[in-house]
Amino acid sequence: MSTVFVVDDDDAVRDSLRWLMRSVGLSVETFSSAQSFLDGYDRSVPGCLVLDIRMPGMSGLDLQEKLAGEGVALPVIVISGHADVPMAVRALKAGAFDFIEKPFNDQLLLDCVQRAIDVDLMQRREAADREQIVTRLELLTPRELEVLDLVVKGTPNKLISRELGVTLKTVEAHRARVMEKLQAGSAAELVRLVLSVRAAEKSSRS
Amino acid sequence: MIKRVFLLVLLALAPGAWAEDLQLVRIGILSHRGDEATLSAWSQTAEYLTTELPGYWFEVLPLDFDAVEPAVAGGQIDFILVNPGMYVNLEVWHRVSRIATLNNRHGPSEGYNVFGGVVFTRVDRRDLRRFGDLRGVRFAAVDERSLGGFQMAWREMRKEDTEPKDFGELRFLGTHDEVVRAVLGGEVDAGTVRSDILERMESAGEITLTDVAVIGQRTEPDFGFLLSTELYPEWPFSKLHHTPNQLAQRVAVALLNMPRDHAAAQAGRYAGWTIPLDYQPVHELFKELQLPPYPPRTVTLKEVVRYYGHWLLVGGGALLLMSFMSSWVWRLNRQLENAKSCLEQQHNLILNSVADGIYGVDTRGNSTFVNKSMERITGWSAAELIGRNQHEVLHHTHLDGSPHPPLQCPVYRTFRDNETRYVEEDLFWRKDGTNLTVEYTSNPVHNERGEVIGAVVVFRDITERKRAQERLRSHQMELAHVSRLSTMGEMASGMAHELNQPLSAVANYARAGINLLRSDECRTGEIEEVLERIAGQAERAGEIIRQLRAFVRKEQLEQAEVDVNQRIRDLAVLLASDARREKVRVVLDLDPGNPRVYGHAIQIEQVILNLARNAIEAMHDVSPSRRRLIIATRCRDAVVEVRVEDVGTGIASGLDGTLFDPFVTTKPQGMGLGLSISRGIIESHGGSLGVLSSSGEGTVFRFTLPAHVKGPM
Repeated sequence: MSTVFVVDDDDAVRDSLRWLMRSVGLSVETFSSAQSFLDGYDRSVPGCLVLDIRMPGMSGLDLQEKLAGEGVALPVIVISGHADVPMAVRALKAGAFDFIEKPFNDQLLLDCVQRAIDVDLMQRREAADREQIVTRLELLTPRELEVLDLVVKGTPNKLISRELGVTLKTVEAHRARVMEKLQAGSAAELVRLVLSVRAAEKSSRS
Repeated sequence: MIKRVFLLVLLALAPGAWAEDLQLVRIGILSHRGDEATLSAWSQTAEYLTTELPGYWFEVLPLDFDAVEPAVAGGQIDFILVNPGMYVNLEVWHRVSRIATLNNRHGPSEGYNVFGGVVFTRVDRRDLRRFGDLRGVRFAAVDERSLGGFQMAWREMRKEDTEPKDFGELRFLGTHDEVVRAVLGGEVDAGTVRSDILERMESAGEITLTDVAVIGQRTEPDFGFLLSTELYPEWPFSKLHHTPNQLAQRVAVALLNMPRDHAAAQAGRYAGWTIPLDYQPVHELFKELQLPPYPPRTVTLKEVVRYYGHWLLVGGGALLLMSFMSSWVWRLNRQLENAKSCLEQQHNLILNSVADGIYGVDTRGNSTFVNKSMERITGWSAAELIGRNQHEVLHHTHLDGSPHPPLQCPVYRTFRDNETRYVEEDLFWRKDGTNLTVEYTSNPVHNERGEVIGAVVVFRDITERKRAQERLRSHQMELAHVSRLSTMGEMASGMAHELNQPLSAVANYARAGINLLRSDECRTGEIEEVLERIAGQAERAGEIIRQLRAFVRKEQLEQAEVDVNQRIRDLAVLLASDARREKVRVVLDLDPGNPRVYGHAIQIEQVILNLARNAIEAMHDVSPSRRRLIIATRCRDAVVEVRVEDVGTGIASGLDGTLFDPFVTTKPQGMGLGLSISRGIIESHGGSLGVLSSSGEGTVFRFTLPAHVKGPM
């Protein structure tokens, strides 16, 4: 169950947001400060974060940056009473899901929240998929990994056999074993799986 | 007269003699020894002439010294027998002429037709020998006009520089005999009589000549009496101007023919008559003595100096002294006058150059003096004010038109209770009926005995000052208003945020409510609750708007009781956005026992807001977790104290002295009016505003306001 986390120092705003979220059947958790959120946040819970940008103590932006720094992918919707363009830019650059100005259209906020939740769910699913593929890739033998690499590069079997110095038949056997181990239905799917994992690895390295 | 009648009767009885045929001829005779003596001496001479001149009746009329002149002038007599001195005068003034000169008898047979004066003293007065010795003595003489009895002696004395005024005392005793008696009796020291008087008195047995000492004695050949003077012709027998010459000739002949020893001569103690002598010596005597008929000789300066030299000296000295004194007094007087006029001038200069009005009041309340400024200020001239009742002129009415009773007049009360008064504000009326606001002092004035005799009032027209104060106040208010607007401008975005909060909440609640209504499991309780919260937030938004509007509003002039704590709580709403933006925690520490103050609530709020915003900004460079703003109130000794504390970096050292000056600021957008206006506001409320402490650890601003003492309403 996805949860909407609300961080706002204003009691009324916080309270009204809880009511709003609950009225559409969303699960809500509210925090009066950034610190209390950090203290009580469970990363495993999917959902999104609705964050007031201006608060005493740790501000919304600080929190957002801190979360990003810790690799938390929770989508952050920044809300602000100040139509402050530089601040909005900064928030978005820092990876905010969206920036909404107070007073906001509730439907807009709810839609935004919904999308954020969906994104989060999807992200989480993709992350889980990648996890699975990585696990499966670990089952491959070194020769199978070499074959997989060449397959992903789009190298035809003949050239693979020539490259590896094995028979075409052997190549075909390896290839079938890779597809079986990675539970890929087709060569195209195989390529996509490998590329998505590699992209995720690349982004986490950079 | 009786005698005459008796004689007439006698003659009437005489054969051949008719009384009617007889012509009366009167002979006036100087009675220098008394009337009785004169009549007895000269009656027989008259009878002799009556006998000698048929048809005439001669009669003696004794005349004393004073009677001679009137008798001659009035023509009461026809002939006159007087001493040569008087004769000389009568000759000149009344044209009498001598017809015979008396031969004075001495002894049984001798006769002298000349005589002199004898000056004498008692024989025991050996100190008196010369005329010069007579100065300062008591001196007796017969009469001022007596020739032998005074004037002859005078002439001689003068030759020895002795004048009648030199006598210690000069008595005129009337007759020769009295003089002799006075000298010998010791009543006087010396005297003078005509020659022969002493001898006659001795022969009469009245005196003894050995008792007498003659002063300045001289001897003349063929003259047998004691003598001190020159000799002068004897008494002349004279006719008056109106007496017929023929009668005069017959009388002269008769007299000259009288035998020396005739009974009449014997009775008159003379020895017949002789032809009239020359009376020039008498004239000379009179000239010399400047006696009538000769006018007083012009006194020469030399004589004056000679006779009055010492008096002149003394008088001159006195005159000199007096002139010196009077010139000194005059100079002194002039100096005093100068000093006085100088003082008066100075007094007037001061009085009239003072810009304040000054006037004096006596105990009846009437003006005694006024200065120029008073005339200028009130429009009344000095002449119109002096003597008039100052209260009725200046003070009669209050501003609201109600009469001002004299008993309440501070000036009256000043000279009643002898107390100096200062009146901060009062109303004077000008001549043109307009009024002016004045402040004045009224001081009692005392006389030299310390009694109050009135008062002096010094007043100043403060109309302009009051107007200026009013303008300043209104200007300050205007400035405060502008400053609030400017503050609001600076706070606008924060305020917008502040409004956004409840508005956002309202929107959220409303949407939640709608969603709940649409959902299947609609619970009324929840709807009610959400609506409740909507109302609450709408009110909250309304409150912010209200605060904003109240704060920016141009404020009314009325002052009222102000609850400072409540003001601060309200202000916290306005402050919230700034505090949030700057991540400042606002702490209110309000003394619940705070009394109210009296004043303009908005202005007081403005001061607190100013200080609070400054405090928030001061903490910009402090770590957000430490940022804290404390607004505290305390009450002590009927003074409400408000402290605004921050934990900022303190006031820049260069600003210490000028912190409260206008246009001193550290903010790029600030006008620098905040603290200046704030101080103005607090001071106009009777309080003070200042920095309690400032360091790198923070700053405390503090202001005080007097607690409002509730008067009887």
